[in-house]
Amino acid sequence: MRVVFAAAILSGATAVCAQSLDDLKNDGRNTDNILTYGMGYHQQRYSRLSQIDRKSVRRLVPVWSLSLDNNWGEQAQPIVYNGVMYVTNARHTVAIDVATGKQIWKHTLEWPPETPRVVCCGVSNKGAAIYNGRVYRTTLDAHVIALDAKDGKELWRTKVAEWKDGVSLTLAPLIANGVLVIGNSGAEYGVRGFIDGIDPETGKRLWRRYTIPARGEKGNETWPQDNNAWEVGGGSAWITGSYDPQLDLMFWGTGNPAPWASQSRPGDNLYTSSVLAMRPKTGEIVWHYQFTPNDAYDYDACWELINADLKIDGKDRKVLMQLNRNGFVYVLDRASGSLISARPYAKVNWASAVDPDTGRPVESDIAKSIRAGKPTEMWPSTRGGKNWMHASFNPQTGLLYAATLHEGRMYKHLEIKPHVVGQRYMYIENLPLPRAAGEPIGHIDAINPLTGEKKWRVPLTDFQVWSATLSTGGGLVFTGKETGEFIALDAETGKQLWQFQTGSGINAMPVTYTHKGRQYVTVLSGIGGLYWNIAREQLQNVPQGGSVWTFALMPD
Amino acid sequence: MRIVAGALVLACAPGFAQQPEPLKAGAELYARNCSPCHGARMLDPQGAFDLRKFPRDQRERFVTSVSKGKNAMPPWGDVLKPEEIESLWLYVTMGERG
Repeated sequence: MRVVFAAAILSGATAVCAQSLDDLKNDGRNTDNILTYGMGYHQQRYSRLSQIDRKSVRRLVPVWSLSLDNNWGEQAQPIVYNGVMYVTNARHTVAIDVATGKQIWKHTLEWPPETPRVVCCGVSNKGAAIYNGRVYRTTLDAHVIALDAKDGKELWRTKVAEWKDGVSLTLAPLIANGVLVIGNSGAEYGVRGFIDGIDPETGKRLWRRYTIPARGEKGNETWPQDNNAWEVGGGSAWITGSYDPQLDLMFWGTGNPAPWASQSRPGDNLYTSSVLAMRPKTGEIVWHYQFTPNDAYDYDACWELINADLKIDGKDRKVLMQLNRNGFVYVLDRASGSLISARPYAKVNWASAVDPDTGRPVESDIAKSIRAGKPTEMWPSTRGGKNWMHASFNPQTGLLYAATLHEGRMYKHLEIKPHVVGQRYMYIENLPLPRAAGEPIGHIDAINPLTGEKKWRVPLTDFQVWSATLSTGGGLVFTGKETGEFIALDAETGKQLWQFQTGSGINAMPVTYTHKGRQYVTVLSGIGGLYWNIAREQLQNVPQGGSVWTFALMPD
Repeated sequence: MRIVAGALVLACAPGFAQQPEPLKAGAELYARNCSPCHGARMLDPQGAFDLRKFPRDQRERFVTSVSKGKNAMPPWGDVLKPEEIESLWLYVTMGERG
């Protein structure tokens, strides 16, 4: 009896001290916490908080900054729970007192110095997950680890794959219906993508769903049957999926097929460059939608698949939205996967439209030229009309806010050589195009998801923006620049209302929350990621070095 | 030696099809593993080191950088054989000339 009683007390204490699945579902209602990637399972990156608004933002000042002791770059979204912030990068996991900015604990990872060889696009980490008193994260060398949220003690470590095979992990885990879910990186190395369900208690794998079906499974018929292209076919899911608890469906975007050159893999190549609607308990694929069949362009579909309720033709629709890398903004019915709309939001020349009946892109002569192996001017470039830097959705305005790219490249498929495990498997040439003076290289855009039209756009002529946006009930859009400025724009006009220069470049994900009734905004600074690989020479006067910056309104 | 080098330069001029084997091997290794950062045919190095500017008299520095890594570049010594790194050096110094 006494044993049972003690167990009941312990179990009760856990329920009080550690957030539950219900807390995760309701993330956003309690503005003191940020418990999920995307500030809600819907990944809208919107907070109703409005203390900091268009007028008061001029009084926004830094209240603390903490060094992250890391030169690899900061891309992560912080998690906040009960006055403690959890931040990750490729090296460390850090717990910080929100009130003071002081470090509570730090957990440091070691991975072999060769590991970055299998990381195509920046040595980084996009954040932690929190559940039941534990902080979960992925590692560059393909492990998932669980840490005690109190003291950072490592509780378990699970090897997901062998990094030498080309697999790395940089995404934040998703906790959905009690299962920890992750996906892999590595399509540039010819790995076969997968999504794993893991028991958060023990670290034991519950299921694995390869994003490319095996021989005999439905979908494999979209790969050649006379070669092994499907086994080295890519489709890595390297960004955290969103989740609809009512439908019990999570939505994972999958990456490009491998190699980028497409001669060896005629067919649609399911389920690459697609969205998969999956059951978290089993990994069952309930529906799929492929944005770019037989992708020959590196048009991943990995990033934010935003859940929202939109009124369309007078009807309330539960939608899934994505500013896809291929230049079209898609709106799907998230219960069925049926296409509602797909309109260009960027300059697109590889396809003329998306067929509303079939949901397939109508490829142009440009696509034919690329497939014929000719050097071809391609828009958007392989980096897309937008890259991973997450859009936010403001339900008050009905608009998506995102940093977009305006960039074409001279693109050519090369002869494909045999796959070598752990080495690049791309076989393309990708060269810059001449650019007219003053032509923007990117924008910050306010985009109507149903039409692709911009309510406003801020042209960028010096550097692209590779930060996520944050939208707030104060009518603001926050984002950061590679040159270090953290900025706030008016959501109605795009006019910049405020900026603060942080110590390095910003390529991360701002968040906002409350502590003791006061609204805070936090962003990580620390140049890194793909754009730093691209523009390091031009950004040579932006020093490396990671830090957390937290802002609040100066009292009147 | 000078005769051999001259022969290589001559052989390079018409393009890959008539390249000697080590140079061809270096070009293929480069296209697979190096071009994603250092640019196709070394033409577009973006943020990585511009290999067209690598000093031709610093072979040892090249071999060390490839084998052990340098700055943002990871080490390759555990996957590339010494002769493969030599073929890369040949490509970097001779491969896109003429």
